Amino acid sequence: MRSRRQFLFDSYLGLGALALADLLAADALSAATVDAVNPLAPRPQHHPAKAKSCIFLFMEGGVSQMDLFEYKPALIKYAGKQMPKAERTEGELATFSAAPNRIIPPYWGFKQHGQSGRWMSDLLPNLATCVDDLAFIHGVKVDNNNHGPAVYHTLTGSQFPGSASIGAWVVYGLGSENKDLPGFIVMGDRRGATIGGAGVWGSGFLPAAFQGTLFRNGSTPIVDLNRRPGITESEQRKELDLLRWMNERHIADRTGTSELEARIASFELAFRMQSQAPELVDLSGESEATKKLYGLDDPVTEPFGRQCLLARRMVERGVRFVKLLHGAGPDRWDDHGAIQERLPVHCQEVDKPVAGLLKDLKSRGLLDETLVVWASEMGRTPFDNNLTTDKPGRDHNQYGLVVWMAGGGVKAGATVGETDDFSVRAAGEVIPIRDVHATLLHLLGLDQNRLTVLHAGRYKRLTDIGGRVLTEAIA
Amino acid sequence: MFERPHRDTLRKGLVAAGFLLIAPNCIPAPAAPFDRVSSILQQQCSSCHSDRSKTSGFSVSSVESVIAGGNKYGKAITEGHPEQSVLVRLLRGELQPRMPMGKALPAADLAVIEDWIRQLPPSTNTRETEWRWPFEKPVKRDPPSVKNAAWVRNPIDAFILAKLEANGLAPAPRASKRTLARRVYLDLVGMPPTPEEMNEFLRDESQNAFEKLVDKLLADKRYGERWGRHWLDLARYGETSGLEGDGAIGNVWRYRDWVIQAFNSNMPYDRFIIQQIAGGDEHSKTRNNYVPDVQGYIPTAFLRLAPWDRSNLVAAEVRANYLAEITSATASVFLGLTLGCARCHDHKYDPIPQKDFYRFQAFFNAVQAGPPVTVPYKDKALAAKAEEQIKYYEHLLKEGPEKKELDAFEQELLKKLKAGKAQEAQGKEYTKADLRLELKLPKQRIFTAAEQEKHADLLAAANRTGDPEEQAALDAYEEELMVRLKAEYAKGIIDPAERFEALGVEDVRREAAAKYSGKSIFTLEEKNRHAELTGKLDILRRRLQRWKPEVVAVTNVAGPPTGPDIAPTRILIRGNYNQPGEAVEPGFPSAITGNFEPAVLETDRYRQFPTRGRRMTLAKWIASPDNPLTARVMVNRIWQYHFGAGIVRTSSDFGKNGERPTHPELLDWLAVHFVESGWDIKAMHKLILLSNTYQQASENPLLKGPAGKADEDNKLLSRFPRRRLEAEAIRDSILWVSGRLNTEMGGPSVFPPLPADLADFARYGRTGGLMWEPNPKEDDARRRSIYIFQRRSLPLPMMAAFDATVFSESCERRSTTTTPLQALTMMNGDLANEESVHLANRIVREVGTDPAAQVSRAFELVLSREPEPDEAAQFKKSGLSLESLCKVLLSSNEFVYLE
Repeated sequence: MRSRRQFLFDSYLGLGALALADLLAADALSAATVDAVNPLAPRPQHHPAKAKSCIFLFMEGGVSQMDLFEYKPALIKYAGKQMPKAERTEGELATFSAAPNRIIPPYWGFKQHGQSGRWMSDLLPNLATCVDDLAFIHGVKVDNNNHGPAVYHTLTGSQFPGSASIGAWVVYGLGSENKDLPGFIVMGDRRGATIGGAGVWGSGFLPAAFQGTLFRNGSTPIVDLNRRPGITESEQRKELDLLRWMNERHIADRTGTSELEARIASFELAFRMQSQAPELVDLSGESEATKKLYGLDDPVTEPFGRQCLLARRMVERGVRFVKLLHGAGPDRWDDHGAIQERLPVHCQEVDKPVAGLLKDLKSRGLLDETLVVWASEMGRTPFDNNLTTDKPGRDHNQYGLVVWMAGGGVKAGATVGETDDFSVRAAGEVIPIRDVHATLLHLLGLDQNRLTVLHAGRYKRLTDIGGRVLTEAIA
Repeated sequence: MFERPHRDTLRKGLVAAGFLLIAPNCIPAPAAPFDRVSSILQQQCSSCHSDRSKTSGFSVSSVESVIAGGNKYGKAITEGHPEQSVLVRLLRGELQPRMPMGKALPAADLAVIEDWIRQLPPSTNTRETEWRWPFEKPVKRDPPSVKNAAWVRNPIDAFILAKLEANGLAPAPRASKRTLARRVYLDLVGMPPTPEEMNEFLRDESQNAFEKLVDKLLADKRYGERWGRHWLDLARYGETSGLEGDGAIGNVWRYRDWVIQAFNSNMPYDRFIIQQIAGGDEHSKTRNNYVPDVQGYIPTAFLRLAPWDRSNLVAAEVRANYLAEITSATASVFLGLTLGCARCHDHKYDPIPQKDFYRFQAFFNAVQAGPPVTVPYKDKALAAKAEEQIKYYEHLLKEGPEKKELDAFEQELLKKLKAGKAQEAQGKEYTKADLRLELKLPKQRIFTAAEQEKHADLLAAANRTGDPEEQAALDAYEEELMVRLKAEYAKGIIDPAERFEALGVEDVRREAAAKYSGKSIFTLEEKNRHAELTGKLDILRRRLQRWKPEVVAVTNVAGPPTGPDIAPTRILIRGNYNQPGEAVEPGFPSAITGNFEPAVLETDRYRQFPTRGRRMTLAKWIASPDNPLTARVMVNRIWQYHFGAGIVRTSSDFGKNGERPTHPELLDWLAVHFVESGWDIKAMHKLILLSNTYQQASENPLLKGPAGKADEDNKLLSRFPRRRLEAEAIRDSILWVSGRLNTEMGGPSVFPPLPADLADFARYGRTGGLMWEPNPKEDDARRRSIYIFQRRSLPLPMMAAFDATVFSESCERRSTTTTPLQALTMMNGDLANEESVHLANRIVREVGTDPAAQVSRAFELVLSREPEPDEAAQFKKSGLSLESLCKVLLSSNEFVYLE
């Protein structure tokens, strides 16, 4: 007993026989046979896949696709005119497009870039240099035209709170490679909370061990990471030694102790995390060139640049899933008005950092094993949304989301789907967001049909009724 | 939904492979001759129901297809029972539409079909035959006889012991008195006994000492706070709507207090059900002007607790989602039925057709989820306190320091705004905005008072209605006035810049909060300061609001003659609000009643409230002694909270995908007993707690070593199951032992401080309100955890680390996960560290400075026992401060595990 426990302390690797409490589906279909002592122990992929980790860039508020990624000359031609009737739209969007409205042209130029000759807006000059690494998915549809439910739908697969977030599913499926750091890390926008709150990185009906850990800015990325002022490491070690002595004494005459052992081990992991996490967020070892690449030298790009650089450092250290949130409160990408003034600011804040991340990952040979995803919760309308202001802006469009992916297993330069001439909705196949989820899982070596958990009478999965793996976007 | 291979499919595979040569349920075709039936059906039905046309998915081409039935009613034949068979009922006109369409089948033909059905052997469909148990009424069988009859204290023990003996096992010895006392305190009131309480119990050597303790704790007010929390998990209790803005669900804390009070007063469970589903849905008791008891509205908050998307403009979608949510929640919480799986299609595992989901939902179709309703406080002390608080906050909002500070700042900003606007306007052409400003000036310089008034009326009308005609009238009038405005300004007699004097504080507020206007007259600092000062007042306003005697609840639509009648409930095809299908009447699940008959609705005797009675009908059916599920589901839940796992471990899913009961006869015995006792929850606790099963030790010496494999998961209850305490019990216990728990009960929720750097992040943008608030009083932060404000977007990190998030869906069982974040919160978090200091201070106060006495007291307070000599020695040797020793004890497994 003693030596086995010793091994657990030292390695924090689980031993096969310790099945986590019956909370996890003991079902042949569930991917994960999860270990009680270390629920984050790495688990094999369902099928061989290049991507080992994922960086998910989420732009909150609804990114205007026709100002950034979709070049639509019709919008210039019809500028100021009433939008011709948008077919096959339901709900709010049908109402919007039927009401008197006027088309807003993109106020920025578009040029073709790279080998692929993809059109990109002048608002993203740095990202434009990376287009040959990206695969674009157009005409993605979410189930709701409002931020809250749409954010949930994009990030948890269901528009209602309570489901597990993508990162939680991935860590449930694959565990994590770094035993001293959380497997799923979230970095929020320092200007405020996300609209969905903690639920968008929550574990929902999966055990809490798979929930995202929120990293904050500064040297204390995790709540309660730092020792209390005035307590030295050796004092803390003494406390922990006594605690361990107590807990081991407690276990000695007990049986069925895997949970108790897990709790002992968790204190040791926490102790190590105290030194690992600050090392992770300490950027002093990064070269000036690298920092510049991410825009850390400019106050506009610094906040997101820092998060992108941290994301690279995380996947480098084996963190499985990193989610970055950009845009909060009034600084969201929710440009109902004054789009001419606002959109360039959002773009500037992320353009260089994101391009820097892609380039840095590539030059370090990490892009092949990292999946980078860009998404928002919705697209926007081609027409003004009639706010009583003289500064036009665009309304929500649940049919017009653009997602791009890059890195491990992604077919660089690919384009999946397209929207109509006005960028209202898909011209051909509508791509529901669950297809994006299915593809994301597939690229990480997970099969949406095997990654399930029994909850409230159903085998739940991220893709709900099942998504199509977008093979056109896969190398 | 994802479908896994059905057991039937597997079985068919095995049969095909020749593995199952003789299996009783594989007898193939029915024996009765189908020929005559077939010719009747061919003649009468095949024009619509052939394999080719297959209207409604039904075909009469073969025995199998006739039995299988169509899309609408499912299986058409109940073997042996023509009167229950859908086909016959359609032919008789008992189900609509009567078949064959537009005519009646000759009686002789009908008789042939009925004869044929009567002779059919019982169904071979495993789905039907296997999955009946939870739908049949439980039967109270005599407890089984056992070898070791001396161990049986009450019938529970007989059922448990019989199964242990059948497996060659014996129960664990009785737990020590000390262990038992700690167990039952944590279990019933959620915190450990004080050393004095422990000693009192240990000294009591009477036979019924434990029973006396149980009685004492069941009468303890803390019991309602502990067990009420379990119910709040089920009720998906949250105090904000989640999603965009995460606004408050108005004063829903009164539901929380109602639940606590219901447990403390031992409200019979049937009443507890009826009040939550059908509060306020009662009938008139007098012929005229009957006023229902408004207190009944509070418990109906149960139907308002789901997350709510207030930004969605598509009302039909919001309504469909809302009704679906309360349907699913009601069925899973009270009936253990996963009815929600049938929202979009027939249930894939359980016998719940999609139609049943909407028939169940139809009971809620009169529901109106309107604004909070006024329900006066019943409790006099609370009413007095509320009144005092309301006065206090009204005063602060009118002339408190926060208000004065904001007023002064807004005046300052107003000056800046006037100057800024004047500057912006320089050299620009006059617009309607200028006209409106001029018209707002207190002293008119150009226009007459009549013109001013006319303009104000037109403007208000256009804004209110959004009607193009009103707008056109306004436009025309403004055009007319514009001409004079320009002319007068051009004369140079009056100063046009003075029009900006019409700007007021509302304009300041608009400018400060403008999100989409781009560049602003105010600096970011000014905007932030304005938001901060407004936020302070906002908090006062919220506190005021929380004391108002209002509560969110459901009411009924008025119905004719004062309003439209209840909308019909339609099946939504694939659950899509945009694809209504067949209309259905309120009805109970067919798996239980065996039919699709509409429920007989209780209607208002005096017809004062024509829309009343639907929810009451459902509630009474659920709370009926005849309901096969209700009592089973509740006793199983009570069992689960005592033992950590239910007799059915999936306590909200009694369906096929759920786990089978480990002790089905015991479950049924308890269920019947529960109903017989008058749905007495406290009596059920007592029965369970006084059983020898509950009083076992958590280790069974017979199961040491390899023998431990015999009942590894403890499904047979060969020992008391050890389990980790929930977040609330851990936090409450820490505060309790440190002596700092604020035991005040009830009232608006409190806000324990967030970790400093998270508090900043919790600001919902610079123009939004604060997501987390300071408390009115410092010790509010130390109230019991059930009183912590349940903000869906922001669970307290310490609570979330121990698996207590703010639930958005009904949670039937907490997960117990172990993560390093829990360890961090104990090592470095405010609560553990601060309370360790207070605990240390308490110990010094109580026993002085002798280190050995201190350690001894610490063990007694935290672990309810004296330290063993080796422990005392180890603590002494460690050289740690008393605070550190306290923290070690509070972090120990022994403290956070109940056994």
